[in-house]
Amino acid sequence: MATVEFEGHTFTVDEDGFIEDFNAYNESWVRLVKKEEGIEELTAEHWQVINVLQDYYKKNGIAPMVRILSKLTGFKLKHIYELFPSGPGKGACKMAGLPKPTGCV
Amino acid sequence: MAFISSGYNPDKPMENRLTDMGPRHFEEFYPEVIKNNKGKWLYHEILKPGVLVHVAESGDEVYTVRVGGARLMSVTHIREICDIADKHCSGHLRFTTRNNIEFMVDSKDKVAPLIKDLESRKFDGGSFKFPIGGTGAGISNIVHTQGWIHCHTPATDASGTVKATMDKVFSDFQNMRMPAHLRISMACCLNMCGAVHCSDIAILGYHRKPPMVDHAYLDKMCEVPLAIAACPTAALKPKKVDLDGTTVNSVEVNKNRCMFCGNCYTMCPSLPLADKDGDGIVLMAGGKVSNRISSPKFSKVVVAFIPNEMPRWPTMTKKITDIIEAYAADARKYERLGEWAERIGWERFFEKTGLEFTHHLIDDFRDPAYYTWRQTTNFKF
Ligand code: HEM
Ligand code: HEM
Ligand code: SF4
Ligand code: SF4
Repeated sequence: MATVEFEGHTFTVDEDGFIEDFNAYNESWVRLVKKEEGIEELTAEHWQVINVLQDYYKKNGIAPMVRILSKLTGFKLKHIYELFPSGPGKGACKMAGLPKPTGCV
Repeated sequence: MAFISSGYNPDKPMENRLTDMGPRHFEEFYPEVIKNNKGKWLYHEILKPGVLVHVAESGDEVYTVRVGGARLMSVTHIREICDIADKHCSGHLRFTTRNNIEFMVDSKDKVAPLIKDLESRKFDGGSFKFPIGGTGAGISNIVHTQGWIHCHTPATDASGTVKATMDKVFSDFQNMRMPAHLRISMACCLNMCGAVHCSDIAILGYHRKPPMVDHAYLDKMCEVPLAIAACPTAALKPKKVDLDGTTVNSVEVNKNRCMFCGNCYTMCPSLPLADKDGDGIVLMAGGKVSNRISSPKFSKVVVAFIPNEMPRWPTMTKKITDIIEAYAADARKYERLGEWAERIGWERFFEKTGLEFTHHLIDDFRDPAYYTWRQTTNFKF
């Protein structure tokens, strides 16, 4: 795995740019991923999605299903894509420091 | 090679972005004779293996020449296909649902030159580039998957097993001597991408060892509850593991419950199970998708394990041809392989094919397994 330096922090990442360890997450990580995920400015709505994902992961050990994410944030899927152009998995989960989605993706 | 931009601006990824256009409409690519007679076809004939004629109400005819394709192909090969279509078919062609290639011409005198051209083309190694066949009651192309070319969950290879099998049954691709269609499919793990569960004969990649557990990374890389829920036999449970003094969350595999499906690895990269000696092939038989005479059927396991014997899989191809020859010799006209096996009884199927019946073939998965046992005194000695 490769390491990236950003704002004085070192992050270990895989070839898709997902963080190796959820516990290594801090807010610098979000600002680092922001650019490669095509996000110009982080808004309160971005943080709302990130916070929901992190809370859910800490409580349940999994990322929420897309419909649960929509219910918990109040954002329709279309709006989640407006916030995170790569979508809830590759975009939002990556920024939130969650493990990479698996299965037949 | 130095970077050459397509015009995409990575600083403004959403600018000038086109999306949700869907595929091109198929009507844009119709040959003239197909466009003119769409929905007005009267009848068709198979003139000879690989060659069909369809006749329309207007009297128009379209001749179709079907050729085998390796499915995995280079742009060079696709360009050669296009050259042939340019030369003989005014630039039109199509691919079938079994990944064969069909060249269509609108009059009989154009057929012979097309066939002559196709038959003349070979690779340097000697294989036909465009073997004609795949129609009627023969053996058409093998629907197959990624294997060691591209997937991360396979237990065998796709392109390799398929080439070895098609070489063995090549004469039946160019022939129509079978009682009915005989469909062979291949999948490199029991995700069964494709058609193995519903084919006359199916080649399936199979593991025989439980996953290894990479405790150091599991909780970091995996959503543990997903790995546990992925298991059809509940062989996994969450477990705290001591690793050089630190306690980490991980899972424990109950090896006595694991039947090596590999689903947990699909969900969790820290549970790999591929193994050189453990992995191999299961053969299934008797499936079909059409409703002709009998309803569609699932294929059934008939050979529990054949080792991976790269690069030609001789044991596997031998068993496949044993099944094919027994079926071709014994089944009635129009009878699909599954219909034949059910009519004569599976005990006769094993007798006639010479395949060994082992305890692995007896269903033991949940309540429905019971219905696959024999609750009757009707059987043959
Ligand atoms: C009213 C329209 C049509 C009907 C009812 C029809 C019916 C059939 C039937 C019943 C078969 C199966 C023959 C067998 O089991 O051996 C067949 C095969 C086939 N037809 Fe037609 N067909 C029609 C139009 C077309 C057209 C327009 C084309 C393309 C030009 C076409 C291409 C084929 C092909 C490629 C096969 C496969 C032959 C084989 O694999 O043996 N069909 N058709
Ligand atoms: C536009 C109309 C149709 C087209 C283009 C068409 C095409 C085809 C093709 C390409 C196949 C070969 C499939 C394969 O074996 O992989 C096929 C098989 C077959 N079709 Fe259709 N078909 C049409 C309508 C019908 C109708 C109306 C019937 C009967 C009511 C029919 C009965 C059959 C039968 C019996 C087979 C053979 C199945 C087998 O061998 O297992 N088809 N058809
Ligand atoms: S059958 Fe399994 S191994 Fe083969 S391509 Fe599909 S998922 Fe991958
Ligand atoms: S390989 Fe299949 S049966 Fe074995 S533990 Fe994993 S999911 Fe369960």
